[in-house]
Parts: sequence; C-alpha cells; structure tokens
Amino acid sequence: MRGILFAFLGGACITLQGVANARISQDIGTWQAATITQLTGFIMALAIALMVRDGKKHGFRKSKPLYLTGGAFAAFVIFSEVTAIQNIGVTLTISALLIAQLCLTFVIDVRGWFGVAKQKMKLPQFIGIGMMILGVVVLKF
Amino acid sequence: MLAGILLALIAGALVSLQNIFNAKVNEHTGSWTTTTLVLGMGFAASLLMGLIMEGKNMFTLQHMQPWYWLSGMIGVGVVICLVQATRILGATYAISIVLTSQLGFALLWDSLGWLGLAKVPFSFNQLIGVLIIVGGILVFKLGGARESRA
Repeated sequence: MRGILFAFLGGACITLQGVANARISQDIGTWQAATITQLTGFIMALAIALMVRDGKKHGFRKSKPLYLTGGAFAAFVIFSEVTAIQNIGVTLTISALLIAQLCLTFVIDVRGWFGVAKQKMKLPQFIGIGMMILGVVVLKF
Repeated sequence: MLAGILLALIAGALVSLQNIFNAKVNEHTGSWTTTTLVLGMGFAASLLMGLIMEGKNMFTLQHMQPWYWLSGMIGVGVVICLVQATRILGATYAISIVLTSQLGFALLWDSLGWLGLAKVPFSFNQLIGVLIIVGGILVFKLGGARESRA
C-alpha cells in the first residue's frame, strides 16, 4: 500500500513539475525557469547527498563520461515540454511524451544499445504501443 | 498543434535516454549522489543555453515570484517517491502506477486550468483517450516477463 502511494505521488510530482515549469516560464522565460528550478533542486539534492553520504568513492570515475552528461538533457526536456504544454495542453503533451519515452526505451532494450541487457520483442508490447497511439487519436479527435 | 506534439515526442525520447544514462551512473554510486549530478548538469546546460539564446536578458527575471525558487524541490520529491516505490513494488509495477498517475493528473490539471495555465475543457473523449492509453501502458508493462525500466 505504501509503495502504491509513493508511486502515485511520484507520478503526480512529475506532471506537477511540467505544469509548474510552464507557469514559471510564462513570467520569467523558459530557459530562466529551467535554470532556477534545477539550481534549487541541485542545492537540495546536494544537501541530502552530503547528509546520507550514499556515494561510493570514485563512483563517477567508473562511469563512462557520456553517461555522466545525461542530466544535461533536462534543459532540452524542460524547454520542449514547457513549449508543448503551452501549445497543446498538459494531457496531450504528457501522452505524446510517454509514448516516445516508452517506444525509445523499448527499441534500446531490443537492440541492447548502451550495454543494456537485450530483451525480446513480444506481442503485448506491440499491442500496448498500438493502444497508446489509439488513445492519443481518441483524445484529440 | 503538430509542432507541440513533435516537441513532446522529442522530450519523451530525451527522457528515455536520460533515464538509461542515469541508471548507468547509479550502478556505481548512490541515488542521491546521482540525483545531485543530474540536477547540476541540468542547471549548467540550462544556464548555458539561456546565455546562448538570450544573452544578458537571461538575468532579467521579470515578475519573479518567491515560490518559483522553491519549485525545484518538486524534483527532489520525485526522486524520493520513485526510489521508495521501486524498492517496495519492483520496477515494473512502480513504473506502471507512476505513468498512470502522470496521465491522470495531466487530465485533472488541464480540466482545472490550475496555476493560470490555459484551461482545456474536460470532455468525454479525453477521458476515454486517457483510459485507452493507460490500458496500453498496463499491457505494455505487465504483459510478458520483461525487465522494466521507464
């Protein structure tokens, strides 16, 4: 039950983040909003990291440099998401975003890119993607 | 409208890549250390892009409200919730619920026009559409024994 609550709140927070960023962007600009929200998030995460000290020594050095830059994508994620929310609303934005996210993850899993464990394509995944796209069509028309 | 959908698709693809990269970093260090790095990188990239695109204007924050500074804490809430949910439920179930909840709240906030965003009136089509997408997510995530990742 607690796990379900955490997952439910987590999803709410992810959408809230997009909505809040869209709102803040209206006032101060999109790049400014992305910069400020991530600065405060960074400071808080750093404070927590220093308290719990969960980082193993040399952890970053074991990771490929490319993977360390993953966070930088967030600048473009926020910019695209905010612009999309302002243009087509929250529901359609999140729907299209999730479809692209799941499809690309699926392709990467099947191909085993970036050294992830390869996985077989199965019928349920195709049906699922088909249903999601159908849902967006129904949503809009 | 097409531009909006295209941007949302780009955002989704980048989220997918980011999740994989972050998970790779997370293999070698703790989740708070990873989160700190991720948000720090995001901050640096946003600042850099802002300076390239807008120059000095980057620092004129018109209509700045105090609560804008606090909105970054939502991201920290996301990490806490996802880490706990995944630990308790396992990735597949946790992510299925997270994605469903994301869509449900999207529909709610569109209908309420909350935070002064343009209101998208609630319609039956929207509800049916969201339910079909949620059904698709559940079939995708729970059908077949795949290891799951968002």
